[in-house]
Amino acid sequence: MRKLRRRIGGSSRSGQPAAWWLGWLLGAAVLVPLVGCQNRQSPFFGTVVPRHGPDELWINNSTEPEWLDPSRCSDSTGGEIIWNTFEGLVQAHPETLAPMPALARSWDVSEDGRRYTFHLRPSQWSDGRPLTADDFVFSFRRLVDPRTASKYASNGFVFAGGAAIGRGEASPETLGVRAVDDLTLEVELVDPLPYFLNFLSFYSFMPIPRHLLEDLERRGIDPDLWTRPEHVVSNGPFLMKEWWFRQRMVFEKNPRYWDASSVRLNRVRVAMVESSTTALNMYATGEFDWPGGSTSLPAEFMDHLSGYHDFHQHPFLAVYFYWVNTKEPPLDNPLVRRALSLAVDREALVRHVTRGGQIASADLVPDGLAGYRGLGQSVFDPDAARRLLAEAGYAGGAGLPPVSLSFNTSEGHKQVAEALQAMWQQELGITVELKNQEWKVFLANAEQMNFQLCRMGWVGDYADPYTFLELLTSDCGNNHSNWSSPAYDQLLEEANRQSEPEKRLDMLRQAEAMALEAQPLIPLYVYTRSQLIKPYVRGIWGNHQDRHPWKSIWIDSSADRSGRHSPTPEAP
Amino acid sequence: MTGYLVRRVLELVPTALVIIAASFALVRLAPGSPFSSEKEISPEIRRQLEAKYGFDRPLPEQFVRYVRNLLQGDLGLSTKYPQRSVNEIIATGFPVTLSLAAVALVWSLLVGMTAGIIGAVRQNTVWDHSAMMAALVGISVPSFVLGPLLVLLFSLRLQMLPPAGWGDWRHLILPGLTLGTIYAASIARLTRGGMLEVIRSDYIRTARAKGLAERLVITRHMLRGGLLPVVSYLGPAIASMLTGSVVVEKIFNLPGIGPYFVDAAFNRDYFLVMGIVLLYAFFLLLMNLVVDLLYGLLDPRIDHA
Repeated sequence: MRKLRRRIGGSSRSGQPAAWWLGWLLGAAVLVPLVGCQNRQSPFFGTVVPRHGPDELWINNSTEPEWLDPSRCSDSTGGEIIWNTFEGLVQAHPETLAPMPALARSWDVSEDGRRYTFHLRPSQWSDGRPLTADDFVFSFRRLVDPRTASKYASNGFVFAGGAAIGRGEASPETLGVRAVDDLTLEVELVDPLPYFLNFLSFYSFMPIPRHLLEDLERRGIDPDLWTRPEHVVSNGPFLMKEWWFRQRMVFEKNPRYWDASSVRLNRVRVAMVESSTTALNMYATGEFDWPGGSTSLPAEFMDHLSGYHDFHQHPFLAVYFYWVNTKEPPLDNPLVRRALSLAVDREALVRHVTRGGQIASADLVPDGLAGYRGLGQSVFDPDAARRLLAEAGYAGGAGLPPVSLSFNTSEGHKQVAEALQAMWQQELGITVELKNQEWKVFLANAEQMNFQLCRMGWVGDYADPYTFLELLTSDCGNNHSNWSSPAYDQLLEEANRQSEPEKRLDMLRQAEAMALEAQPLIPLYVYTRSQLIKPYVRGIWGNHQDRHPWKSIWIDSSADRSGRHSPTPEAP
Repeated sequence: MTGYLVRRVLELVPTALVIIAASFALVRLAPGSPFSSEKEISPEIRRQLEAKYGFDRPLPEQFVRYVRNLLQGDLGLSTKYPQRSVNEIIATGFPVTLSLAAVALVWSLLVGMTAGIIGAVRQNTVWDHSAMMAALVGISVPSFVLGPLLVLLFSLRLQMLPPAGWGDWRHLILPGLTLGTIYAASIARLTRGGMLEVIRSDYIRTARAKGLAERLVITRHMLRGGLLPVVSYLGPAIASMLTGSVVVEKIFNLPGIGPYFVDAAFNRDYFLVMGIVLLYAFFLLLMNLVVDLLYGLLDPRIDHA
């Protein structure tokens, strides 16, 4: 029997075709379900029925945050959690981001615009303890105290005395923040910053439960662990119930929140999925109702996804640009720098390379930011670029040494760098060398000014042009251009002392024009955020800081599934 | 046997020391700082951060301190996750990686040995050819292709299994299959090869001659001979399932320790890199030892005495 079988199937001539057929069958078995039964043209990407009940939301927050401690947090994923578990003096309107009363019921501003008096509403911590103005004083001092070692300590430098405390030259008690009584807080600013109230809704300025930290210390527990669910006490709309490291967090509505009656969700489950493709899969199967503000969509699927009705896109307060090392020849010549900027076809860049609906821009400050009229610099003028280059003595690129362009390892940055390389070669005849560097090496080189051109992105922390213009001031540690101008610094300082908003914006505009004349950086585009939101998820607005408070979100099971919906028009 | 074991374990000590010293040197020689980011931090704050982790001390002193803490079982603090110790990170992540490797191992043995046995017993038949062709495909398809394909089929189209995440046993199936398939393919080829080598030997003929049922000949005699190459392969295979789960854990977003191997190095999370390297080294050494010992049990010709 054994022999017989071997003879029948054994020869390679008769064996192979059989194996061949089997292979085809196997392949077909896999491929048919993959391509065969595509969903019949749904206007939405994936499922449209809520999977987690009428008052539960599942979202993604992309990665494990470094800190959930408001004084120490410096990443957007931590910020997302802090914004929804804590409440500060003011809150940003979920659509316009305009400051609205939160724990502060109202406030008075002094004539010179430098002193704010906040009147707090009576409220409680989640453990029932009353929340007082002292909790804010404690928090703001802790933020600037060098012993806290906060990467965002500089946010507290808006308060009088903050910078000196941060440098270790003064004690935190000297900070210009004072509790007049339990419900009255007075703060003094360094300048009459017109963006102060907007900035104050930032997560660094949340109150800290001093009593909890002291209690942990008394019990011999490391007070740094106070944000863990077994200890945490907070005052925002949601409370952390579970925190599975690098997996998920679970939040429940805080019954002691002052505005609890307007919170519609009972539970929010936040996953930490880093891969955007994986997050997309989980959205398609309905596991995620909304992949969250911090999850980007894979660029290669953007064209496809943008056809669905649950796809939403909006500008984001961030600028993509290249730093120019203005001490490095030939880039020490401003004419060469301006020629480089004018020779970039930014429209082509955003249309064919980045493909995420980005806005081509040669300005540092995005147009329309807090009433600011953008400079509207030319986004592409190759003739002018060639003229400038000839003026600099390098007609047709002759005699110009190769220029190097550094970027950190990433497919997206690489594609932009390659596009620049081609454009500069084609328009100006400049040879460009690309330097691809691992992130930390790249940062070290940027810090030591060890580059000629290096890519950077800057996300605005608050809705005011200053958040971008500050980058080019002489003493800004983030200024990686070697360019500094006393006139520019002075103009910005004067603008910040100016209490008339229109005049101030004009001065900022002058300053931006002055800086871009020298071209210490080459802006390329303004970011956009693209996201998918299930049609039954309501109360998410596309705002330019990607801040979407969960307390204004709700599940609308009766949502119209036939066509494009816009998130609810009613304001909270 | 015991003497051999003691000698082998003692040999591990200098190896471990070399690994510690080399990885410490490599990690600290890499340019960049664990605290750098796009946003500049003031020198005063950087000093505070460095002091917290002891990075302000001279390197030799840091090394001595690290080894001393290591001997007490303390792997240090993570700089990327400042509220977690490396011990805690490994303790939460390693069970996930272990269960993933266990599923992958069971899958690879089940499929691999079955295919290998069929291939050997029905040598040069349709069965043999299709099994070996499937094995060839299995070896050739990388996990970053197989994983998404399985997700597309079982999660997105058939909606039978979750596409990613961690929770219950269902979350382990697709990653387990993805990780295990490539090993299943190798095991199939090794099993078939090993069995073919013994299939015509005298002791198999004797077994048949004494009237033993074919099933028993296969399982008791042929398989034992055929297993030798599989066993020697399994040691490194298990170690590489544990250490090579980076891609699969990323695709399926499992909170195992695989991704740290890459991410911690990128983040210059010094102690976390060291902790993972040491853990992986420990497993590689352990697996090699276990394989050498198993050899003695399976093959009477090898004697560790």
